[in-house]
Amino acid sequence: MDLPINHNTPTVMHIDLNSCFATCEQQAFPHFRGKPLVVAAYGTPAGCVLSPSIEAKKLGIKVGMRVREARLLYRDIIVRTPDPPKYRAVHQQFVKIFRDYSPDVSPKSIDEAVIDFSQMPAVSEQGLINIGREIKQRMRQEIGEWISCNIGISTNRFLAKLAASLHKPDGLDVINYQNLENVYHQVTLLDFCGINIHFQARLNAGGIFTPTEMFQAPLQTLRYQVFKSIIGYYWYLRIRGWEIDEVNFGRKSYGQSYALPKPTADTRELASLLMKLGEKMGRRLRRAGFSALGIHVGCLYSDGTFWHQARKFPTEMYTTQEIFVKTMLIFNSQPVRKKVTHLSVSCYDLKSGAEKQLSLLETDVTHKRKLSDALDQINDRYGEYVITPAIMMGMRDVVIDRISYGGVRDLEDIYAQC
Amino acid sequence: MKEIINEKVSVVTVYNRMKGLVIPCKIKWQNRIYRIKKIGFHHTIREGRKLCHIFSVTDGNLDFRLKFDSETLHWTLEEVSDGLAD
Repeated sequence: MDLPINHNTPTVMHIDLNSCFATCEQQAFPHFRGKPLVVAAYGTPAGCVLSPSIEAKKLGIKVGMRVREARLLYRDIIVRTPDPPKYRAVHQQFVKIFRDYSPDVSPKSIDEAVIDFSQMPAVSEQGLINIGREIKQRMRQEIGEWISCNIGISTNRFLAKLAASLHKPDGLDVINYQNLENVYHQVTLLDFCGINIHFQARLNAGGIFTPTEMFQAPLQTLRYQVFKSIIGYYWYLRIRGWEIDEVNFGRKSYGQSYALPKPTADTRELASLLMKLGEKMGRRLRRAGFSALGIHVGCLYSDGTFWHQARKFPTEMYTTQEIFVKTMLIFNSQPVRKKVTHLSVSCYDLKSGAEKQLSLLETDVTHKRKLSDALDQINDRYGEYVITPAIMMGMRDVVIDRISYGGVRDLEDIYAQC
Repeated sequence: MKEIINEKVSVVTVYNRMKGLVIPCKIKWQNRIYRIKKIGFHHTIREGRKLCHIFSVTDGNLDFRLKFDSETLHWTLEEVSDGLAD
């Protein structure tokens, strides 16, 4: 028997800031308002556009374009580089507003959050719409008059996000059992969060070309013919408004990456970068009370090829020095040395402090770890990189602070630093 | 066009006890006085344990980014922008 559409009252609200980084810049600097502006990773022509303003989007400027491409579309585009503390401040302010309405607030990324009202049965659909309007008003009053957001309300996270994307910018939409099929007529498969061109190709191969066809497809088709896994079943539930995405994935790894402004094969320069990436990663690892057993190193070369290797070690890595030694061990095992354009390091197989085997004797390792903790405390007290390994000298402005877009895990770091 | 300044400046502030707000009202920079008309955004940053307040303000012609160091009580003009492309 086919599963019916979820007829329950919508209780999930998805809130998404419009063009977050660009809007924050326009809020802070009133002269930028109403003008095409992009926030780019770097202000150079090759810098990647991270966030175009609403005005820039109207000109066809999109996330992922290069600054030079944006300038081709609009010569006088304003280019700003990211100001992460400002965006974190906005994030914290809007999450504070959301927590006034429900204790169950899940930040999904720096610019979006989900408020779950399912434990509050007294809140009706009209009540949620009123709350949505009030949130929009409070964001303008308490954060800034230029800040606007899209709000979507539905029975599950997937449909709430879809509802939030229907009328950008500054929309407020509800998807319920009455208008669900009508909404599916208005959107494409790629408008579904989680359907990329590869999944779209799979669906097309299964004879599904529109959201309506996907909705009408039987479970067997999605599960055994299109997705060929449990994912097909998840999609079958999701598009009928049943909640399956209320899952908190635990932290499995910490990673840092860096796109080099100028490709290089200089081992000394790359070692310095790896040390800085390791120091940033190690600080986050230790702040969260973990050590790691595995290290992964990845290099993207200027010829477009990619090399990566991961290795687990019998001893835990905790200090930056321990991470660096293992990172270099892996890095030096590259089969060919070529010019690197992108470096990434991550550590995995995390062990929490409570799981550590205590030593009866003070060993050299224990001393080094205590020293590492002391160095972290000095950096916490006087600012990042007050004390650094000598190999990192002169690198203060390299691998600067960034916010990973779309990632929810880095939000832990935001809250840890509060 | 934006310009990075990083110069210490004189600032007149007003504290509004009803709203619990400190508002920079005037900036004296290079012997010129700029009257602040609007605060675009205020946020804080930490440099180690030192707390700094960042005020993004405008006098109607130019936008300023001011940093107030809560440890030394110094004001620094970090950036000036006229809102045009570089």
